[in-house]
Amino acid sequence: MTTVQDFSGYTPTWCPGCGDWGIGVAIKGAFVKLGLDPSSLCVVFDIGCSGNMNDFLNAYAMHALHGRSLATALGVKIANPQLPVVIVGGDGGIYGEGGNHFLHACRGNHDVTVIVHDNSVYGLTTGQVAPTADKGMKSKSTPFGIIETPVNPLVLAVTQGATFVAQTFAGDVNHMIEMIKRGIEHKGFSLINILQPCVTFNKINTYQYYLPRVYKLGLEYKPEDQREAIGKAMESTVEKFPLGVLYKVERPSFTDQLPQLSGKTLVEKTYDLAFEAFEEEFI
Amino acid sequence: MKFLWKIGGEAGFGIMTTGLSFAKIATQSGYHIFDYAEYPSLIRGGHNTYDVLVSDEEVWTSQIAIDMLVCLNKDTYTLHKSRLKESSIVVYDPEMFEITDNVQKISVPLKSMIKEAKAFQIMVNTITLGASAGLLGADEEVLYGMIETQFAKKGEKVVEYNRDFAKKGYDYILEHYQAMVTPILKKRSQIETKLVMTGNEAFSYGAIVAQCRFFSGYPMTPTSNVLTQLAGWQEKSGMVVRHSEDEIAVINTALGASFAGARSAVATSGGGFALMVEAISYAGVAEIPIVIFLGQRPGPATGMPTWTEQGDLLFACHAGHGEFPKIVLAPGDVNEMIEMTAEAFDLADIYQTPVIVISDKFVCESHKSVPKMNVDLFSKSYQPNRGKLIHEVPPEKYLRYKISDDGISPRLIPGIKGSFYQANSYDHIEDSHTTEDGELRKLQVEKRGRKWDTYLKTHYKLPTIYGDITTATHVFIAYGPNKGSIKEAQKLLKEKGIETAFIHFTHVYPLDRQKVRDIFAMTKDKKCILVENNSQGQFGKLLAMEAGIEIEEKILKYDGRPIYPEEIVASIK
Repeated sequence: MTTVQDFSGYTPTWCPGCGDWGIGVAIKGAFVKLGLDPSSLCVVFDIGCSGNMNDFLNAYAMHALHGRSLATALGVKIANPQLPVVIVGGDGGIYGEGGNHFLHACRGNHDVTVIVHDNSVYGLTTGQVAPTADKGMKSKSTPFGIIETPVNPLVLAVTQGATFVAQTFAGDVNHMIEMIKRGIEHKGFSLINILQPCVTFNKINTYQYYLPRVYKLGLEYKPEDQREAIGKAMESTVEKFPLGVLYKVERPSFTDQLPQLSGKTLVEKTYDLAFEAFEEEFI
Repeated sequence: MKFLWKIGGEAGFGIMTTGLSFAKIATQSGYHIFDYAEYPSLIRGGHNTYDVLVSDEEVWTSQIAIDMLVCLNKDTYTLHKSRLKESSIVVYDPEMFEITDNVQKISVPLKSMIKEAKAFQIMVNTITLGASAGLLGADEEVLYGMIETQFAKKGEKVVEYNRDFAKKGYDYILEHYQAMVTPILKKRSQIETKLVMTGNEAFSYGAIVAQCRFFSGYPMTPTSNVLTQLAGWQEKSGMVVRHSEDEIAVINTALGASFAGARSAVATSGGGFALMVEAISYAGVAEIPIVIFLGQRPGPATGMPTWTEQGDLLFACHAGHGEFPKIVLAPGDVNEMIEMTAEAFDLADIYQTPVIVISDKFVCESHKSVPKMNVDLFSKSYQPNRGKLIHEVPPEKYLRYKISDDGISPRLIPGIKGSFYQANSYDHIEDSHTTEDGELRKLQVEKRGRKWDTYLKTHYKLPTIYGDITTATHVFIAYGPNKGSIKEAQKLLKEKGIETAFIHFTHVYPLDRQKVRDIFAMTKDKKCILVENNSQGQFGKLLAMEAGIEIEEKILKYDGRPIYPEEIVASIK
């Protein structure tokens, strides 16, 4: 059995009180609960305060380019579908710079788990607005308030082909552990959107802001219903934030549909090809 | 013997398939070919042409002078008549236009033959294929065999239908122009099996030979065919081919697969390559092997998508922010493309860094015949060299970026029990954790930098010299895809009594300064001429930068068309 300590690398450099501390603990907790060890999975980090977890978490990892963590992770999964692949990034990297990759990864139902630190700001560059920021939010890059309306990642995921969409809150470690664990266990594309207060640069979406506005989905909620899920995901427009699994359906994952991967992984495979078979068409 | 056959007509009328069929009729009759197609960036309408140069010897390029022009419309004649001579044969339909020039006219009533048979207009290309085969003395069986292979997938009915139309053309010639038949395609007694391959197909085949296991792409002329070719082969190759959402995803996904331990590659052209550049830099610092195939076309921006140019060499050599080692290879023909593609995968694995294989539309999309035996000899003897890839955790503490004399550190396949590390895009220390420590950073910069030296000492290949540099008065200097036209120009110049040599670079970046200077020391008192398909002489600039060699005289062409041997000959005074 592994322990949280086995996954603990350098001491984190996050601000005191940052939601990332809780997320960091929850990720390690979920890995332990799943019986994983640092050699048995691959974590692909985006760039930002969230991505800085690369040095705080022990695992085979890529600290990819900003916005490209998801695109990079798909390659790891295709080459070695036996390796659990987890992506850790922020709302800027996953929904902004990497928005295109996010849409298409949902479509492909790639069997990876995306953990998004959703704090509505770019923390590491000192507090400019992120794509999830509410309309009108003032920041250094939008001194008169942001003109765009926020992206709704949950609706995007539910409608674009993701098969597991959950939301959780950085103030509730146990709930995060449960959501991350279920997301990794799910066969297919899983999104865990984590509402994460940035205590330094976001003075609006604080713990105090979220606490009265988040609520847990009850046992009666049926996550198979896409319309229900869209309805729940839209509640952010009235400042209500459902926590739990909003949407979960079964559909073959991308790699499950590739006959080339039915036996060994691309990494293990040995080839003894008859080149004549590739030459015929050129004669 | 050299004979240039050219067909032209409206886009969408099957010019491409007819051209390739003609080329294969020639190779199956025992000849060598090189072909070249021109087409605008649209699907219907516009003017398409397809040239096939037939020879009894191996050929590497096309030529200006047309020996036979097959006109499926009037444009074909008016646009290309300047390339005709008195002896040129012109196949045309007098119902479409009349010819008053002094050429060998072969009138075939294409329109009325179509009308009579109540056939689709597109069948004219099959009639003219038959007529061409007839006029050039091809064996009837070779012609029909070709039709059969071409349409086999569409069923016996379609095969028969096309065979009938090819026969109409063939018979028409024998009946009306028996006296004009020349034995250009007469079946030879000894026929060596040849492969008719484009540069794109050669890259794809090379990737198969090299056991590339993951390929991602996004369609872009002139390398879209690499994506479709490899995608079509997945069942028998076992490779996974992914058509990604954009070129940024293309290369990052390939880097993920490569990190996981699978040989990976991508293909693109200038615009797509531009989108990949940040990830090339990531591959450099995180030391992830990747093979990038770059088929150049005229830029800037969208440029002239379906034409040819060599405007991206300096961009390729310098692609990526920051300083990191990179290798650029430039094959000159189909044979070199197969072998250097496999070499690129080895170099990427050995040096754990990006390797770019650079070409242009002219080589990417032109077919060249190559003896099958030569290809087989290579593919059957090739063994991948994966460098310092390890499958077991070493007994001492494993350090992904361990400082080493050759600059290369052992690369452990992720997922192996007992260790972990990261492919870190940040500056990092030996164990792969991030650092901002100046001294430790320097150690890694120097470690990566030593890969340049190791490459130059171990795997760098000097240019090939064609001709005798000691007796030559003129020396051509060029890289990669210009090989064919220069070699042909050398022959033509020799016939005129001018002795030339040609220094052909395939390993274009980095260059070994001293060794290259030693070669150029032999060119003192010779007239050195740089030949390039661009306006700035980019390879010349690279030579100046890397080896301090300046070449004053240049033959540059940048109208989107390839450099023809005749043009090189004409510029030699």
